[in-house]
Amino acid sequence: MIVVSLLLLMLAILGAPLFAIIATSAMVGFYNNETELMTIALELLSISQMPILTAIPLFTFAGYLLSECDAPKRLVRLTNAMFGWMPGGLALVCLAACAFFTAFTGASGVTIIALGAILYPALKQDGYSDRFNLGLVTSSGSLGLLFAPSLPLILYGVVAEVSIDDLFRAGILPGLLMLVMLSGYSIWVNRENRKPMSTFSIREVGAALREAIWELPLPFVVLGGIYSGFFAVSEAAAITAMYVFIAEVLINREISFRELPRIIRESMMLVGGILMILGVSLASTYYMIDAEVPQQLLAFVAELVSSQTSFLILLLLFLLVLGAILDIFSAIVLVVPLILPIAAGFGVNEVHLGIVFLAAMQLGYLTPPVGLNLFIASYRFEKPIMHVYSATFPFLVILMLSVLLIAFWPELSLVFVADP
Amino acid sequence: MKSILDKLERAGRLAENTALVVLLAAMVGVSVFQIANRQLFGGSFSLSWADEFVKIIVLWLAMVGSIAAARDNKHIRIDLITHILSGPVVAWAKIIVDVFAAAVCAVIGWHAFRLIREEISWGDTIFTDVPLWIMHAIVPLAFALISYQFVVRVMRLVHELFSAPGEETES
Repeated sequence: MIVVSLLLLMLAILGAPLFAIIATSAMVGFYNNETELMTIALELLSISQMPILTAIPLFTFAGYLLSECDAPKRLVRLTNAMFGWMPGGLALVCLAACAFFTAFTGASGVTIIALGAILYPALKQDGYSDRFNLGLVTSSGSLGLLFAPSLPLILYGVVAEVSIDDLFRAGILPGLLMLVMLSGYSIWVNRENRKPMSTFSIREVGAALREAIWELPLPFVVLGGIYSGFFAVSEAAAITAMYVFIAEVLINREISFRELPRIIRESMMLVGGILMILGVSLASTYYMIDAEVPQQLLAFVAELVSSQTSFLILLLLFLLVLGAILDIFSAIVLVVPLILPIAAGFGVNEVHLGIVFLAAMQLGYLTPPVGLNLFIASYRFEKPIMHVYSATFPFLVILMLSVLLIAFWPELSLVFVADP
Repeated sequence: MKSILDKLERAGRLAENTALVVLLAAMVGVSVFQIANRQLFGGSFSLSWADEFVKIIVLWLAMVGSIAAARDNKHIRIDLITHILSGPVVAWAKIIVDVFAAAVCAVIGWHAFRLIREEISWGDTIFTDVPLWIMHAIVPLAFALISYQFVVRVMRLVHELFSAPGEETES
């Protein structure tokens, strides 16, 4: 068993598709357990038994459409009209626009590509240092992970069997905390850079609002609909997909019908990748629960730590390492089923655990060696990867502080949750 | 040989795109219809099969999306080795992991096929009179095609590795 695990680990590091690795470990487990191997196919079929999963293709499609049209440009113009006059204004624009956009596009790296391309040159033009720009744009790319309707939040809800409405509510304040701390840092760093910023003009705000008229209802429909309980999450997803299609393809006509198959293909490849990993993880979780792995882990962890505080510290360290090597979707489906019972043993609320998990995994986007956003930024802005590492580092430290706050201040996550 | 593979490649891509467009459009259409019906008409046109239908489409989107992702090499993986190494070592690593992936998918496909055979004998139905196994048959089919995609890539990688530099290495 140990030989097999090591072999699989090696294959994973060599770059084997993770679903194949997880599937193999599940099948080896089944084989040793004398479980019928057809179980893996049965578990894959359970993808068709979770109604909430419809939200994933629908939101992903809507997010890809939004990133392919001129909506990012309009979003930047609007936030700039509203906040650009403040000191460090453009940095705040960058943070706010990216957070908003990431929430809608599901943190798959498209934020850096769609918004970074607009913001990076704009920041440079406004006299921010190149190092700061690079760090800011790179770390903004995963901000907003904690806001509805981000895909990782939905996936955590599916895997942990927690109400997704509760998760959406729980993410608000921790997400804002990250935003505020990064904004504070940006203003502080640029306190010397007090060259005349763009002045506030109600006219420009009006023009920007008019230009974005078709996107404006979106946050109200989606967020308002979900937070008020008017729509179920999967319903909001269907409305969003339909609405974005009508607004960008039929009304704004920024995406032609000829481009649609390509965009649908791109978005559904991500969906296929995520759901495939989910499916095979259901099989490996089935095996691990059968083999009582969570109980053994709990016993093992209980020997290491005794209090909730020390458990959370251990968890954060673990998630930091995990986030540096594994993408957020795989981490959720693989690890959450294992740590849920342990966390419950230490009295950690499962909604709070989800927020801590995602917040810590967000750091993973920025941690060397394999942080996804580091590579995307390096590729997109044609900078050496080491340069991106060092430019992002101060932002990483700020985000770590915010993760500590989120972990040890559960009320921040749970204040809006009905009965935690 | 080459031209047959190219034709297959184009036809496969077209088939995947068509399937994805149709599936997604059906999912959006049926979902929005259900919501509109409930909010506007108090549920008087409710489609009894809609919930089951949308859930089956998720499975199909996941499977067809996975086939497409295998073709375009977009499955989620730890992308470390190409960033720290270069040259033939990377090519060999790719060959090893793709052979592994092809084999694993073939095994999963085989067991999924066995499950479908069982389901045929169970005779369960969905949407009142459609055999359930037809809806599930996408799983073995998808794994067979994913496995095939990995085999094709291994062949291409081996070909590139052993064709001397200067020879044609079209991608």
